[in-house]
Amino acid sequence: MSDSQKEAPQAVQVDALVSRIENLPHQPPLTTKIISNALTSSKLQEVVIKIAKHCSSAFPTTATGAIVGMDTESLIEVTNSFPFPTVEGSSTDSHQNDASSIAAQAPRQKSSLSYTNEMIRHLKEVNVDANSVGWYTSATMGNFVNMHFIENQVHYQKESKAAVALVYDASKSSLGNLTLRAFRLSAAFMTAFKDTKFTTEHLQKSKLTFRDILTELPVTIRNSHLLTSFLHQLPAAPTEETVEPPSSLADIHRSQIKPALNPSIDTLDLSIDPLLEKTCDLLLESIETHYTDLNNFQFYQRQLGREQAKISQWQAKRKAENAQRVLAKQAPLPEDEWQRLFKLPQEPSRLEGMLNAKQVEQYSKQVDGFTANISAKMFAVRENLAPQ
Amino acid sequence: MAAATERFIHLSRPLAATSAGLQTNIAPLTVNIQPQAVLSILDHAVRRDARDPAQPSRVIGALVGVRSEDGTEVEVRSCFAIPHTEEEDQVEVDVEYQKNMLALTLKANPRESLLGWYTTSLELNNFSALIQNFFGSPDTGTFPHPAIHLTMSTDPGEGIETRCYISAPVTVNVDRAAECCLFMQVPHKMLYGDAERSALGAIASAKDSETRTAPLISDVENLGQALEQTISLLDRVSEWVNGVLDEDEEPNNALGQYLMSALSLTPKVDASQIEHDFNNHIQDVLMVSYLANTIRTQIDLSQRLATANIVSVEKEGENKGEGEKSGGQRGGGKRGGRGGGRGGGQQREPREPREPREPTE
Repeated sequence: MSDSQKEAPQAVQVDALVSRIENLPHQPPLTTKIISNALTSSKLQEVVIKIAKHCSSAFPTTATGAIVGMDTESLIEVTNSFPFPTVEGSSTDSHQNDASSIAAQAPRQKSSLSYTNEMIRHLKEVNVDANSVGWYTSATMGNFVNMHFIENQVHYQKESKAAVALVYDASKSSLGNLTLRAFRLSAAFMTAFKDTKFTTEHLQKSKLTFRDILTELPVTIRNSHLLTSFLHQLPAAPTEETVEPPSSLADIHRSQIKPALNPSIDTLDLSIDPLLEKTCDLLLESIETHYTDLNNFQFYQRQLGREQAKISQWQAKRKAENAQRVLAKQAPLPEDEWQRLFKLPQEPSRLEGMLNAKQVEQYSKQVDGFTANISAKMFAVRENLAPQ
Repeated sequence: MAAATERFIHLSRPLAATSAGLQTNIAPLTVNIQPQAVLSILDHAVRRDARDPAQPSRVIGALVGVRSEDGTEVEVRSCFAIPHTEEEDQVEVDVEYQKNMLALTLKANPRESLLGWYTTSLELNNFSALIQNFFGSPDTGTFPHPAIHLTMSTDPGEGIETRCYISAPVTVNVDRAAECCLFMQVPHKMLYGDAERSALGAIASAKDSETRTAPLISDVENLGQALEQTISLLDRVSEWVNGVLDEDEEPNNALGQYLMSALSLTPKVDASQIEHDFNNHIQDVLMVSYLANTIRTQIDLSQRLATANIVSVEKEGENKGEGEKSGGQRGGGKRGGRGGGRGGGQQREPREPREPREPTE
């Protein structure tokens, strides 16, 4: 954001509104004023809810957007967010996957970049501390570890080392507990990705495992003073000291109690099984992916073995030929010609497998979490229905 | 779910300026505000440039959202700030900025449209009328629908009050029509869906802390808090009931009936049946957990073997496939063999990462 850009819109304030004012009698000439960035308060609150809204309204397709804020040394302060525009095609159910993948690709698309720049320029003008600090995406039951995610994050982290990815889990959050996590790619992974070094040899050397791909950052929420005072009004406290007792059942039903926002009673919902089931489905999918990956690699191994056999055959033949030529007092033929004749197959990238492993780890941790939750609830139900 | 609703008698709705003889709707209008719009407004109020005394004490911005088909209900979904300056007898709104920002916002949310504008003080003055007329005008505003004006008091140390208005043109002098209008208050409520519920909960968890910050907590901690709260609520109820029984409290028929009907919702089931179902279910859940962890361990193992240097004495000794369920037939040994074939690295046996975790029974 150069200064010239920032000042540009100041010049163009004369418009419909202003011209009306000019019609008023005794109107002094118009002046323009440059607005400076004065305040630097920051927090995450509004962002949280914006992301939540956007992601869940797009559910079950993926939603992505940019987050802006400030990057201080030890802390990234996210103060605003906005969704990326996606090409709104025929977004019927049959095109769900297309829409998802378009949205998933959006963060690294050129159009989004210009959109982000434009948006940031506008936000800066109204004193929002808008510097791009990363992006956000939605996920279902933690299924976000995939190539899209990695590529987007690489795209952002290339620009700035501090860029983070916020992942909002729409289905888990519907259980009543907000699931918002921040991730960043590790430096080791970034260097490896830059050189696309995901062969067995490189992995052996760098000791990079799937655990080292992502580093999770703790997320805290911070509210402004104004918001805190607003939250204290929500739900509104009783206005009188003593509450008038209701005179009939209808009275109670009419003035429904507004439950406190936190801790929410939604977490006490018992129906956790569908989520467990969904996670199992996703786990199975991951196993499928694992097998595909494995088969690819085995195919490569067989190819490699075949080629190597051919090469050694050729080498033996050439050796024998050379021995004969020596006997016949002829110059020996070069023995390294096989490098031109045969081509070794490329080793498939290990990245997919690593990501899959990371994904499986995610799922199983999630299942652990569910188990802890549901067993507590089930014991509660049993005690309630059949007291000992 | 609605938060912060109020009782409201709606008398009539002013007519919009209809010179072209358009059919206008005079049905009551309700404004639903989503929390993220409110939060954005509050955020914007905080970001006011307070250093410059010439700056107005309020900020303004545009409301964006959706309108129901008949126009009787509008939902404010988001909003954006607009820079403006106010002096004693003039007001400037950066119209260009508003236009660009609106275009940008609508690009990401094509289904939404401009609804009106907000300001962060309750005061309605001449400038309000001017801006209101601008937002309601045919070429730049919401015409033929009325523009909505949302005012929010943001004075420090006082409660936050929200009011919603629509306007009717009123004037005694045609020349000054632009700066006059009649504001009519309309009912509004704050609505939030299930999706924002959890986010709002997380934000609200910080409201009682001194630092105004709150970490995001795990599911189990959250469950613990919810249970504690429920228990304390139940304790309060039983305290009251005991008070009534001890004749310390005034009994109340309605509350008694309510409690009775709530308690009668408890299903009557056989204890042995409960026990049976409970055991079945908990075993299922634990089984899933166990299997998930086993799968994780196996994938972990396979990843390690894939990159491990394997001693080439027994070429087929270790193989990746063995980590899998049907590993035996898959001849995955090539992978191990390859590692050995390279033979470049140190001789290092792959360590078993860890035993499959036992189920937590």
